[in-house]
Amino acid sequence: MANYDNLVICEHCDCVYDKVTLVNYQTSYCSRCDGVLQRFNGLSVEQRLALTFTAAVLWIFANFYPVMSINLQGLKSSATLWDSVLALSVGPITFIALVAAIAIIIAPVFQLLLLMWVLSFALANRRSPAFKSCMRWLETLRPWSMLEVCLLGAMVAVFKLAGLLDVLPGIGLFALAVLSLMMIRLAGRDIRDLWGIL
Amino acid sequence: MTLKATDGPKLPGKAPIKTRRFSVSLVWIVPIVAVLVGISLVVHSLMQEGPTITLNFKTGSGLTANKTVVKYRNVVIGTVSDVELSDDQKSVNATIKLVKQAESFTREDSQFWVVRPRIGAGGVSGIDTLLSGDYIGADIGQSSARAKKFTGLENPPPITYGEPGKRFTLRTQNLGSVDIGSPVYYRKIPVGQVVAYALDADGKGVNIEVFIHAPNDAYVTENTRFWNASGIDVNVGANGFAVKTESLSSLLVGGIAFRAPEYSPNDQPAGEEKAFDLFEDQQTALAPPSGKAQYLSLRFDQSLRGLKVDAPVEFLGIEFGKVVSVNLDFDVKKRSFPVNVGIVIYPQRLGQAHLKMLEALKHDPNDEAAGIKLIGTFIENGLRAQARSGNLLTGQLYIALDFYPKAEKVVFDSTARPATIPTIPGSLEQLQEKLESMVNKINQLPIERIAGNLDSNLVELRKGLTQFNAKTLPGVQTTLADVSKTLQSASSTLAEDSPQREQLTQTLDELGRMSRSLRELSDYLGRHPESLLRGRPDNAPPMDLKAPPRN
Repeated sequence: MANYDNLVICEHCDCVYDKVTLVNYQTSYCSRCDGVLQRFNGLSVEQRLALTFTAAVLWIFANFYPVMSINLQGLKSSATLWDSVLALSVGPITFIALVAAIAIIIAPVFQLLLLMWVLSFALANRRSPAFKSCMRWLETLRPWSMLEVCLLGAMVAVFKLAGLLDVLPGIGLFALAVLSLMMIRLAGRDIRDLWGIL
Repeated sequence: MTLKATDGPKLPGKAPIKTRRFSVSLVWIVPIVAVLVGISLVVHSLMQEGPTITLNFKTGSGLTANKTVVKYRNVVIGTVSDVELSDDQKSVNATIKLVKQAESFTREDSQFWVVRPRIGAGGVSGIDTLLSGDYIGADIGQSSARAKKFTGLENPPPITYGEPGKRFTLRTQNLGSVDIGSPVYYRKIPVGQVVAYALDADGKGVNIEVFIHAPNDAYVTENTRFWNASGIDVNVGANGFAVKTESLSSLLVGGIAFRAPEYSPNDQPAGEEKAFDLFEDQQTALAPPSGKAQYLSLRFDQSLRGLKVDAPVEFLGIEFGKVVSVNLDFDVKKRSFPVNVGIVIYPQRLGQAHLKMLEALKHDPNDEAAGIKLIGTFIENGLRAQARSGNLLTGQLYIALDFYPKAEKVVFDSTARPATIPTIPGSLEQLQEKLESMVNKINQLPIERIAGNLDSNLVELRKGLTQFNAKTLPGVQTTLADVSKTLQSASSTLAEDSPQREQLTQTLDELGRMSRSLRELSDYLGRHPESLLRGRPDNAPPMDLKAPPRN
């Protein structure tokens, strides 16, 4: 069986190319559909792992510090992410609360845990136990992680309420913003490079 | 060293390579910074975290975990982190997380209460909580001891610690309509309020604690009198009808007023926590001090209906004491029921008279035996007690001490305690006696005999009358008939056309004529007196030419 490890397939039109090694600022495109084949990823495994830990810390901030607090005539209320899920769950749409919990809390934390698991073994140039299923789960979880959606929603709420009430964005909101950006970077498609490295 | 041709240039040797077992890239700074930030946040919040205390409230109304705040001077000093039932399910425990700066609120005597809208007679409070929700109000204590558990007050304390002013304690028999928060007036200006009240340890009185705000607390002096200004003071006197009250709110919620008597020399502002008596009303409060009380006993042999405890005791019309007891007694010797009346008198209330008496008699008011002896001499001079009627309508009695020099002498027992003042019957009693003696005299009159005589006289009279009717009256009747006949004939005689009258007229005419001829005769005789002797000459002229013609 021939070794096809260094081939790459365009995900838009299934054209097969040889893998090339890119340097900074370089991107390879599919000649048939002009879709992006490969992009230079400046992150080493070690950097990825470090950023994953950072993201984990940010996740803790985002979940334990209030995202925002509102203040109306002395009536003060502040909410963390978990509070918002609880608030949804007491209403008639408990199911939505479950979805929200998965999308903004559970999926990201699983992604981070899997990344840490896989990357810490990759740092030692080893495949982690259950490497295959971990990699597949990372791929499965990606569409379920909707931190950026949550961030947008929170920011819309902050701007809209700002005229009516005193709205104070909390530490949680900033942590959430940074976390959602890092998640895009860390848990994107580039993770498939690990298949080639290990 | 020489280079040989065979020696080509030496290949560079390989530099020794050391492989570090761990090579740490700079990227790890990022998570480290994140962790440091996290740690700093945690440390900061730990540093900010003040003590946690537990408040015990009767109900959890208005308390919400993580929402209800604790405020002092409207600044948040903590939040309720948990509200749960107490172990015995009789109250609610609220766990409070105080901020670091509010550490002093853990002093043992700090106070906590729930601020909610309240409408009372004294006003409306806590309106702002209608929007913001209830919060817990706090007040710092002053004790140096710290506590973890506090009992929440049901009502906000009227005075916060550290407010300038003074506290005073007022002793009274009952609370009246005074309540916590009732105003304290000085010259009708509210200058303080009632902050607490409690029963005495033995339950025989009430201690009311009042707080007078600075700077008006300076007007509370050593001589100041406090009185209950609740309700209306209605006075009916010779000057008419007077209604007095401090203010409308004192009518509703009660109140206390204070003032020093007009004449109070060497008055000093009273010290903190000084105790005063709370009088019933302004009049008793500002009355001159009663001085030393003297207990006396009176013994009446009459019914004392209308004599009540607290009835006044007057000396020559000046009130100077009151009745303290009215008891029925049994006299073994006389087998009668006298009434024992205990009175207390305050000789000092006699004022000038008392002072002069002390001076003149060199009497020491504290020498009891001498005082009794003095009373003894007064009794020698006729001092007697009498129960007099103060009000004829209601029959209220009062005790009057007066001098009756004519009163019977009595022996005064100067050893008995309390001293006994002899009594004489009351004025109404005397009146009754007089009436009784009068009735007795009337009783003694021989009414029956008088009645018998009168009866026989009447019988005689009736007999006489019968006789009169039977015999005298018919005679009278016939006489009257005769009289009537006589009168009738007389009237017929005098009638216009009666012959008698005709004759009378003729007779009268004749009489007239006769008198005329007599006059002529007299005239003639006047002119001719000689004719009496000689007779009438023949040529004599007619007697009177002017005379009317004869008929």
